Parts: sequence; structure tokens; C-alpha cells
Amino acid sequence: MRNALAEIAKYAFAFAVAALAGAVLVAVMRGDVLGAYRTFVWSSLGTAGGFAQTLNKMCPLLLGGLAVGLALRGGYFNIGVDGQIYAGAIAATGVALALETVANPALAPFAVVVGVLGGAAFAAIPAVLRAWWSVNEIFVTVMLNFVAVFLTEYLTTGPWNDVMAGEAITRLIPDAAKLPMLSVRAGSHVGIFLALASAVLVWLVLERTRWGFEVRALGDNERAARVAGIRTAWVTAAVLVASGALAGLAGAIEVTALHHRLILGLTPGYGIMAILIAVLGKARPLGILAASFAMAILLVGSDSLQRSVGLPASAALVFQALIVLSVLFVDAKRSVRA
Amino acid sequence: MSASAVVTLLLDPELWRLMLTMAAPLVLAGLGELVMERSGVLNVGVEGMMAVAAAVAFLTMLKTGTLLGAAAAAMAATLGLAVVLGYFAITLRSAQLTVGLCLFVFGTGLASLLYRLVIGVTTATPTVQTLPRLAVPGLAEVPFLGTVVFTQNALVYLALALVPVLAFLLVETSLGLRLRAAGENPRALDTVGVNVRALRYGAVAVGGLLIGLAGAYLPLAVTGAYSDGIVGGRGWIALMVVIFGRWQPGWALVGAILFAYTEALQFKLALVTKAVPPQVLLMLPYVVAIVVLVRLYQGAEPPRALGLPYERESRL
Amino acid sequence: MSGPPTRSTERLRLEAISKRFGATIALAEAGFEVRAGEIHALLGENGAGKTTLMNVLSGLYHADAGRIWLDGRPAEIAEPRDAIRHRIGMVHQHFELIPPLTALENVIIGQEGSTLLLRRERQARGVAALAARFGFEVDLRAPVAALGLADQQKVEILKAIFRGVDILILDEPTTVLTPQEADALLRTLRTMASEGLSVVFISHKIHEVLGHCDRATVMRAGRSVGTVDASATTEQALVEMMIGERVARTAAPAEREVDDTVLLRVDDVTVAGRGGLPAVSHARFSIGRGEVVGLAGVDGNGQRELVEAIVGLRRVTGGRVELGGRNVTTTAVGDRLAQGLAYIPEDRLGDGALPSMSVAENLFLGVHRLARGGGLTYRPAAIRAGAAAPVRDYAIRGTATTPLGMLSGGNIQKVLIARALAVAGHGDTPLVVAHNPTRGLDVRTTEFVRRCLVDVSRRRGGVFLVSSDLDELMQLAHRILVLFRGAIVADLPSTAFDAYEIGRLMTGAAARA
Ligand SMILES: Nc1ncnc2c1ncn2[C@@H]1O[C@H](COP(=O)(O)OP(=O)(O)OP(=O)(O)O)[C@@H](O)[C@H]1O
Ligand SMILES: [Mg+2]
Repeated sequence: MRNALAEIAKYAFAFAVAALAGAVLVAVMRGDVLGAYRTFVWSSLGTAGGFAQTLNKMCPLLLGGLAVGLALRGGYFNIGVDGQIYAGAIAATGVALALETVANPALAPFAVVVGVLGGAAFAAIPAVLRAWWSVNEIFVTVMLNFVAVFLTEYLTTGPWNDVMAGEAITRLIPDAAKLPMLSVRAGSHVGIFLALASAVLVWLVLERTRWGFEVRALGDNERAARVAGIRTAWVTAAVLVASGALAGLAGAIEVTALHHRLILGLTPGYGIMAILIAVLGKARPLGILAASFAMAILLVGSDSLQRSVGLPASAALVFQALIVLSVLFVDAKRSVRA
Repeated sequence: MSASAVVTLLLDPELWRLMLTMAAPLVLAGLGELVMERSGVLNVGVEGMMAVAAAVAFLTMLKTGTLLGAAAAAMAATLGLAVVLGYFAITLRSAQLTVGLCLFVFGTGLASLLYRLVIGVTTATPTVQTLPRLAVPGLAEVPFLGTVVFTQNALVYLALALVPVLAFLLVETSLGLRLRAAGENPRALDTVGVNVRALRYGAVAVGGLLIGLAGAYLPLAVTGAYSDGIVGGRGWIALMVVIFGRWQPGWALVGAILFAYTEALQFKLALVTKAVPPQVLLMLPYVVAIVVLVRLYQGAEPPRALGLPYERESRL
Repeated sequence: MSGPPTRSTERLRLEAISKRFGATIALAEAGFEVRAGEIHALLGENGAGKTTLMNVLSGLYHADAGRIWLDGRPAEIAEPRDAIRHRIGMVHQHFELIPPLTALENVIIGQEGSTLLLRRERQARGVAALAARFGFEVDLRAPVAALGLADQQKVEILKAIFRGVDILILDEPTTVLTPQEADALLRTLRTMASEGLSVVFISHKIHEVLGHCDRATVMRAGRSVGTVDASATTEQALVEMMIGERVARTAAPAEREVDDTVLLRVDDVTVAGRGGLPAVSHARFSIGRGEVVGLAGVDGNGQRELVEAIVGLRRVTGGRVELGGRNVTTTAVGDRLAQGLAYIPEDRLGDGALPSMSVAENLFLGVHRLARGGGLTYRPAAIRAGAAAPVRDYAIRGTATTPLGMLSGGNIQKVLIARALAVAGHGDTPLVVAHNPTRGLDVRTTEFVRRCLVDVSRRRGGVFLVSSDLDELMQLAHRILVLFRGAIVADLPSTAFDAYEIGRLMTGAAARA
């Protein structure tokens, strides 16, 4: 009980720090601080449309957080969620455009599955390098982010470009490849259900299967896992590929449910936010769920402040980092006293 | 392209000069990171720190027009970030990887935020004068080497000079000995009465200053402008340069030059060929980085206490 | 070494020192007194607080309460620097050396003699002279990582006396030495003591205390139980002071019944080591049912590589390994374990423990691949229930849900042993490979572990016991192999067990002869 209260106090403190930083920023920009808070909360939670937006944002954040969290449980840092989101999006867009003429309703789920595979395949590169060549996955995933962005730039401006748009975006995918909306009026899509289902699945796999046990053992002490007969290379590869698959799902959903095409800038840094979310959620699905919801509110709220007081979008990153640093601060202070 | 044309291209002195110009930020940031890591502190936030330095340097240059002021402001900013890293990593003993990643995100956001706050949304991107090239009298006329090495900007000379200085410092001085010890076995150093914490803070501060200079270099010496992707992974590459160099300044320089060569080559190729889409060429340095990485990890032995917080009364 | 040494003058007194770490009380008003020129032994079970007390004295730990007196005056020691100033030096239980630096650099660090430049040559001369005077010659230019443990210890001692010491603390210095080396060290210490140095000597080996020390202080559970003259006490009396009761000694292993079933055959096995040299070369032996085979050797002669080759963690570059007649030379670790091969690694924390996972989960690790039923699923409740029996039988201090990292070293070892024996029980070739299974454990836990191993052989399993403790090998093994520089240089039947002879073989006597 005491502990739960202390935990709540910790997060309250962290969000207060971010809120304070926000107030300072708004004040610097000569905005109305209280008004900004009101806009922030109202825009993300106060209206059906705002809440729908929050859920839509939460979808890639939750999946990305799960991707980072799953890898983290196995002891690895997947910094390449952005790249894998692009890979998933590219794969999903690719099949959707290739099968443009097939008006079969199965196209949408098929595109999503292909997107998942795209993310997984892209993550297979760091996975194999890590598992059998002991190449640090952090560097490989970071470098592949750049590769994925340039690939997206090429596709959106080159072969798949929508010539009418004059932007780095592709043609629209066919209607059959679009995932249904949850509420057309509010503008929320079904992606959030897929994300929630993934969270449950990740939890089940980690806590209720022997493979999940092996992943956790690996994350706790790789040598000990190996000494105990676990084929650590295979588990490593599998956990990183699975991580990429989750990110690929996020990318596929962004294409099939939200933008209905591939765009450059599809992920405004969901991957790096996902790292913070996984850290905040202690790599546990439930924690990641809560953290991604909070971060989604923060994104949507900051976004509205961009419109009302001109707060730059990048402020959201600063707030998120401040939140995590505050949590680390409280954790450290507490463990020093204990 | 014929074989001889390829050779001419690969050995083009202009290409090699560009290579050194692009190597300088990697060398500066790499040396900064190296100093930190040698003392046992891992900083994976280089990318974010460089971004902040780039924004601060550019904005200061734009507003005041003084180069030194711009560089100093950038270094002050990254010094601040480094102290934050030090506080979490050394005093609070948080997980250094996590803190570093936070700094990465924080720096990335802060850089962009600062730029937007000061400049606002404009159609025309403001620019500043870039660092002039200084030809070294006498040496600049030497064929090939003259062009490549002796017609660079001042910061390139500084970066190149720092390499032997740091190497000497590490091996031949008491301070260097203690620094290496702090990264290998801080407790051993503590038992002989040396203040590990102060040493590590010092290393982190020095590293922060160098990383700041590396970040400032990008707008001041290369682009003359700021954009959000300006660092473009160079912070991460600087981390690899340290590993490539096996934590030795001289070899880190070699690593920086290798990465910079592919970067310069990609610029040149974009000029001479239209057949390959520019994005494919842009990927080149990152793909090369991955390929090099595969070799990099064979037998790399980091300082034994790297990333581990030191606490006198804990047994770890 | 200053001051006119008279044997009875008090040099150091520790008074009512208390220290707690979180919930553990490491020291509860502990204290003792050391005279000038004496060798004073400090004895006690694991966790009795010996190291903690000495760390307080050397300024590494800050005591919660208590006082330190030096030469009759109160001394304030808050930092290692203060201890150095008071001429107190300590050789730590796990050496505090910096492996890639040279021996010289390790000795002079912190007192380099000049603020800027290292003047290695000048310093080398001084250190070499010091080393020659006390017989601690080592290659000062070699990186410490390249030195053997005995030489590393010399570097540690040099480091202390280079700073000037009146009080030298040695924390379990003989654990890493052969009997000959230990004798030599103790003789040198005696010479130094006769010149006025006070030595605090921590050891678990009672014969060293009785044979070479002047007095002994026994600690138990953070308190000092008492100080006795070494000449006026007995082994039994000391052990009783240490643990407060009598312990039964391990029964010797059962007489081996003649049985030719071979569990393990190592045939001409070679393992590559660093820098092209083989770490193990052409090792050849076998272990039969019910047999305990010991492997003696100075640490770092290829024990780890040999053991890991048998378990499957390291690739062999030549030869074969057979388990129960099946060739397993290239078989994965997991499949060897499935045959009944169980491994108790030397590096408990590094190779054995999942520190943040529970005792139950740790007991399940490895076994999870063998247990029938359940298939893919993982049932936490069943696993917790399954841990109840081992927690009880092995007297593990903790519950099924305690994170393993919270347990003490001895209790972690019990978990690893319980797990290994469970693995052995699942296969048809039960063979336990144990590497230094009792290192650093106290008398009681040591006896327990040894009994477990003997039981394996009684139940007709095999045991391959790799240990740097000769007494242990001679007590438990039917045969002892001696490993020197990667080669098995002797295979001794129990009738040929002799500590001094084995010690000679361990240091290469057979190779020289
Ligand atoms: N740095 C520390 N942090 C937490 N607990 C500690 C620390 N050092 C010692 N302890 C605890 O204090 C007690 C005394 O430990 P200490 O190392 O002094 O024992 P010891 O007598 O030297 O044992 P050994 O014979 O195993 O070396 C033990 O319970 C140990 O777990
Ligand atoms: Mg001890």
C-alpha cells in the first residue's frame, strides 16, 4: 500500500516536472499558461474527437513500447523501432498497391500481416548479427533507421509517388486494403484493439510460456542461460525479430488505418518515444500500456498547443525525456536511502 | 565508368580533403566519448548532445556573429548536459544506458525546440558564414597532401592535434594512468586514496566540451545552416569510432577517417552519377557502418568498469 | 617500519565497531587488539564480518559506531587516504589490481611521485629494490593480467609496502597459493614481523593459523568471540569458537565397487587458448559409475577450459568427449544436460545465477527443458510449489519467491547445487561436474556441499571435482589428476595422495623432471 502510494507520487512528481517545464515554455512564448493547460487537457481527453486522436496516437506508441520492452526483457536494446515501423509500412503499402485491382476484403488483414513480416524481416538483420556475430544491436538498429528513412524517401518521391500531391507521399491504397474505423465521427480506428491484443499476447508469451521464461532468463544473465542449456543465440534472434514484428504491425496500422498511404515522416520519432515508454513501464506490458497512454495524451495535448500558442512539436520530446529523468531521479534517491 | 576513371575518382584530392573535413566532428566527438569511457562512464547520448551544440552554435553565430562565442556557447550547453549525465551516472548511479538514451531524446528535442523558439517558422532558412579554410604556408603547396591536409579549417587542425596530445596524456602522465584505472577498476583506485568520483566528473566534463565542439562544427564549418537532422547519426558513429579504435585515440582517428571517407564519397558520387537515386547513395555511409561493425566487435574489450557505477560500500 | 618494536606493545585496537548494510548487521561491536611485531590471525565463518572489519580499518567502509586506536591514540579513518597516512596497508580478498596496467603502474598508482609525467624508470628502480629486499620479485613491466595469482599477490603486497606500512592486513592470502607458496609467504611475513611489522592474517585454514601465527581472534556473526594464543589452542577448539557447535566431518566416499561402466570419456581433448597456445592439450581420462575424480592444479592452468569443453560451452579443437558411450563432442549444452550431465560452475554469479529472478525460477532453469509434461506452457504456481522441497531439503535461507540475488553466497550455491542434482537425476548418465564448489563457503555449508557430492557417487553417479583446495580433493576423490599448463601430468590413486607431492606436480615438477 505504502509502496503503491510512493509509486503514484513518483509519477505525479515526474509529470509535474514536465508540466512545469511546459508552463515555463508557454510563458517564455508569452502565452497564457492556465489557458494552455486547459487546451492541453481538453484537446486530448475532453472531446470525443480528442480522445479518438489520443487512442490513435497510443496505437503506435503502445506497439513500439511493447517492441522495445520485449527486447529489453531479453536483455537487448532495440533503438530501431522507427526503422521497423517504416519497414512494416513499406511492406503493407507495397502489397496494397500491388494488389490494387483485387477488391477482396481480405486485402486489409493481408496487408497488415505482410507489414508485420516486413518489420520482422528488417529486424532480422540486427537479430542475426547480434545472435551469431555478437554485433551490438544498438548500433545496427540506429544505422538501419537512417536506411529505412532514405528508402521511404525514395519510394515516396520515386516509384510510388503521388504525382498530384507534390509531397513525399505515395498514392492512396485501395479501399479494400483499409482497416475499418471504430468511430467515423470521432475519427478513431481499430488499430488500438490490435495494439491492446498485442499487449495481452506479449504478456502471455513472457509470463506463461517456457520460451518466455527463456527470454527472461536470457535478459537476467545471458551466461547463466547458456550454461543451463538454453540455445541463447536462437532465443536472441527470435526475441529481436518478434520485437521488429510488433513495430512492423504499428507501421502497417499507420498505413492501413490512418494515412491510407505511405508518407515520409510517418513516424515523428515514435521509436525513440517507445524507448522512454518501455523504460517508464519497466518493460512490463501493463506498465507500457499506462506509459503509452500518458505519452499519447502528452503528444496530442502538445500538438494542440502548437496550434493555439505555437509550441513547437519537438517540445513533446523534451517533456517525455524530462518525465523519464524525473522518474530515474526519484528511483535513485529512494534506493540510496534504502 | 572505366577502371581508371574510378581510380581517379577514389583518389581525387578534393575527395580526400572533404574526407578530413567530415572526419573532424567524428574525431572531436569520438575523443570526447573516449575520455568519458576510459574513465568508466558510458554516454550513448552523444547524438542528442551534438544536436544541442549545433543549434546553440548556429543561433549564437546568427545573433552575435562571433565564431568563438558560438563555439563557446555550444560547449557550455553540452557541458551542462554532461554534468546532468555525470550527476545521474556518477552520483545517483542510475543505469548509464538509460540515462544516455534519455539525453539523446532530450537533446534531439531541445535542439529543435531552441531553433523554433528563436527563429520561428520561416520560409527562407537563415544561414551563417562558415569557417574559412586556412592554407598552411609552404605545406599547402605539397602535391596531394597539401590539398588534403593543409588547406583545412582551424577546427580540423585542432582535432588532428588533439589525437597525439590525448594519446600522450593517457599513457605518459599520472592523470592518464589514474583515468585508465578509473575505467578498469575504480575500487583499486579508491583504495590507494584517489578520488574516483572527481576524476570521473572531470572526464565527463572534458568529454562534454569536446562533444560540444563537434556539434558546433556542423553548422559553423560544414552547412552554415541548421536543420533538425543535422547531426545525422554522427553521434552514434562517434561511439562506434571509439570501439573501432579499441579505446585508443590513434586508432579512433583511423576509424573516423574511414567513416568520413564513405560520407565524402557519397557526396562526390552524387555529383558524377545520375543513374543511382540520391537516397541510395545517402544510405551508403550507414550501410558501410554496419558492415564495419561486424568486424568491429571481434575481440573488442571495453574498459572493464565501463558503464558500471562505482559505489564504495557496494560489493559489485 | 618505524618505532622500537617490542612484542607486547599494543599497536592497534579496534573497539566496538558496528556496521550494517541495509538490513544485514555485518558487525556488532566487534573489536580486537594487535601488538607490534605479531602475526595476528582473524578467523570466522563466511559472513562473520572479517573483511568488513578490515575494510573499516582501511577506510573503505565507514563504521556506524566504534573507535580505532593506533599506538594508544584515537585515530580518525574516514577515507582510504587516512589509512595510508596511518601506515595501514591491505591486501584484499579479491585483489584490487588493474589488470591491463603493468605491475609497476599498479604499485605506484596514486603515489606516482610527480604530478604530471610518469617517470617509470626512476620509480622502477625503487620498487625493484623494495621487492628484492623482501623477496617479492616480479616482472614489473608485465601487465598484471599476464601474471599468475601468486605473482599478482606479490604486486598487491608491494603496493602496500611501497606506501610504507606498520600494519599489513592480508585477507585470505593463501587461498590462491600452493602449499609451498603459502609456506614461503608465511615465512616472509614472519621475517617482516620480526622487524616490527604487525600483520593481520585472515584465513579459513586452521593449520596455518596454528603453525604460523602468534595469536588468533575468532569472529562469529559480526562479533568477536575471543582472542587466544596460537600455541595454547587446538583445531577443535577454534572450530567450536567459530561456529558455536561441533560439525561432523564428511563421510569419505563409498569404497568404489568394481564397475567398468564409463560415464565420461575424455579422449585426447585439446582446447585452443589465448594467443594460439592450447589451453588444454591432449587431455585423456575417464570417469566410471560411482567414481569421484579430482582435478588439482594452480588456478589458470586450463581447468576452466577443460570443464567448459566437457559441458559443451567451449569448442574443442581436437579429440572427443563421450558421455555414456555416446560421442557428444559437438553436441549442444542442452542435449548433454538432457543425458544427465550436471554442471556446478565456478563463477556462481556469472555463470549460474539469475539474480533478479526468484529461487523457484532459478531452480527451474535448465530443468525446464527436461521436465516432462507442460510442454510449451509455464505455470508459475506449479513451479513455486515444486521449489518447496529443495528449499526445505537444502535448508535454503529464503522462500521460493525470494529473488536469488538477495541470498548470501552460500545459499546461492545451495540453489545451484539443488538444480544441478535435479538435472543429473533426469538423465541416464548422471555425472556432476563441479568446479570449486566450496570456494569461499563456510565450514558448515562446505560440509553440506561435500556430502551432496559424496551422495551422488553413492547413488552410482560420477563426479568430476575440480578444486583448488587440495584437502578437499584428498578427502573426497578416488583418484586425483594433476593439471599443469593444460596437460594432465599425473593420475594418482588414493594411496598416492600427498599434499606436498601434488603441490610439486601442480607447479610443474613432473615437467622439469
Ligand atoms: N558491501 C556490502 N554490502 C552489503 N552487505 C555486505 C557488504 N559487505 C559485506 N556484507 C555482508 O556483511 C556480512 C559480513 O561480510 P564479510 O565479507 O565481512 O564476511 P567475511 O567474514 O569476510 O566472510 P568470508 O569468509 O566469506 O570472506 C555478510 O553478511 C555480508 O553479506
Ligand atoms: Mg572476507
